[in-house]
Amino acid sequence: MTRWLRNVATRAPVPVFAVAGAETREAVQTLRLDGRVRLVSAPRQASVLLIAGRLPETLLDAAVAAHDVMPTPRATVLWLDDPLAPPPHPFADAPVHRGGDVASALVDVQHALLRGSQPSEPPVRPDIEPAPWRGEGPYGQGGAGMTGGVPYGRPMATREDDRDGLTLDVLPVPVGPLFSGFPDGLTARVTFAGDLVHRFELGTNPYGDGEARALDDPFWRALHEPVPIAELEVARARSLLRWASEAARVAGLDALSLRTLALAERAEPGDAAAVRALGRWLTHPLVTGRQHHGVAALDASELGGLGLGPVSRASGIPDDLRSSDPAYVELGFETICHDDGDAAARWRQRLAEAEQALELAARAGSRRTGGSGAVESPRGRLEPDSSPTSRSLPLLPDLVTGMEWGDAVTTIVSLDLDLPEAAAIASVAGAPA
Amino acid sequence: MLATFGAALTILLGAASAMLVLRWTSVAIAAEPLTAPERMPFSGGGEPEFHAWNRYHARYYAMALLFVAFDMEMVYMYPWAVVFAREGLVAFVEMGMFIAILLLGILYAWRERGLEWA
Repeated sequence: MTRWLRNVATRAPVPVFAVAGAETREAVQTLRLDGRVRLVSAPRQASVLLIAGRLPETLLDAAVAAHDVMPTPRATVLWLDDPLAPPPHPFADAPVHRGGDVASALVDVQHALLRGSQPSEPPVRPDIEPAPWRGEGPYGQGGAGMTGGVPYGRPMATREDDRDGLTLDVLPVPVGPLFSGFPDGLTARVTFAGDLVHRFELGTNPYGDGEARALDDPFWRALHEPVPIAELEVARARSLLRWASEAARVAGLDALSLRTLALAERAEPGDAAAVRALGRWLTHPLVTGRQHHGVAALDASELGGLGLGPVSRASGIPDDLRSSDPAYVELGFETICHDDGDAAARWRQRLAEAEQALELAARAGSRRTGGSGAVESPRGRLEPDSSPTSRSLPLLPDLVTGMEWGDAVTTIVSLDLDLPEAAAIASVAGAPA
Repeated sequence: MLATFGAALTILLGAASAMLVLRWTSVAIAAEPLTAPERMPFSGGGEPEFHAWNRYHARYYAMALLFVAFDMEMVYMYPWAVVFAREGLVAFVEMGMFIAILLLGILYAWRERGLEWA
């Protein structure tokens, strides 16, 4: 019986909770296309923790928390590209995989766990109750208030006035940096009043560890030197499709998310029709269109001059550096805009721009652009000292306050925040991330 | 004596055996107790500051009250149904007026966004 159950279990995809560093995020996202593994959104669903690349200290602490809440039997796999990189301290004993096919390593570890040849890893942190029960009685019982004492040493919810004119309980909850509905690394202290966001306080960027590092993408290079337009536009289409894949995953559309990711992986100048067909599915009213209609509508007056790319253009602002670039004018580039300014408009905007990017790439030939100190990236105007994410983050608290939690997550996803990019640019410019 | 209490004794022994078997099964298949870090709620890696016991605002209360109010109209329809055949068109028109007034109330609540969840 046990052997039969074990055989059945080994045939299932390995449930993996992944924590990725700045440089390995795309590789981890691509891992979703491998049928041997199933990337799960919460560590309690996983049996293997994958730590990919070098993690900043804050992410490493969060990875330890994720490791400890995973059910047993559990194991960790480190995926490090750099042959000289040492394994991070809390996971020094975990097997290290260096190379491309990490899925095989994950499957091997899972099989070893199921066979019992590899023991389950103990929790990293010591078994010390962080907030022990503090009642008044000799056994921790009793005390004032509804529940008596201070349950688990944590204060009870406080009360604040809500928008209905009532004074109700509010609950502050730390969210991120490994919350699967947020962009990588986003942390916030969210105060809930029921299912509404009563207050939203942004945390620090975990990737902003002060270490200067250059970005490895053609848009960063185009800031300093001419780059082929075809290369830029294919990279733009892939980035926009990767966003659509992530947004579909967060919306619970796993099959469409995988189809979009597969297209993002192989998108070439001739794939504009495929993007158009997929875009029709993704933005159909019954798929995302109606669900996201009217969510987080941004007025053009709020976005003027911010250069937030598709976010600005979805609100009707024809703000695109390419429209004044002679190389793009020669290609017949026309700025695409939408008017609604809501999350649904941002979906339509990005997919239309992905399609347009592949059409431009097909016509671009050997034309080059760049070196002028500012470039239109998939997220907006990129400058050596300013990223679109650093300009859109300050909008976030006011935007999501008062929303239901589901709408707040949709809103945050729709802004396409890239915290590693913001941190890298801040590190180069010497500004806080 | 045994004939008198035999059945009760059998039931008692059966119940005690079942209890012991269930207790043993529970202990045999129980997972090891979780340590403190394993019990921690996970919201992305941060540690909770407040206890999650709080009073939850049922935001659908306006919709629920409207439902109860308009559901009561059915109560008036039962006596009306009894006399409808006898009274004929007069009863039909009266009920039509009653429902039209209620419909105005629903439209008013709709306009005032009373049917929105949050």
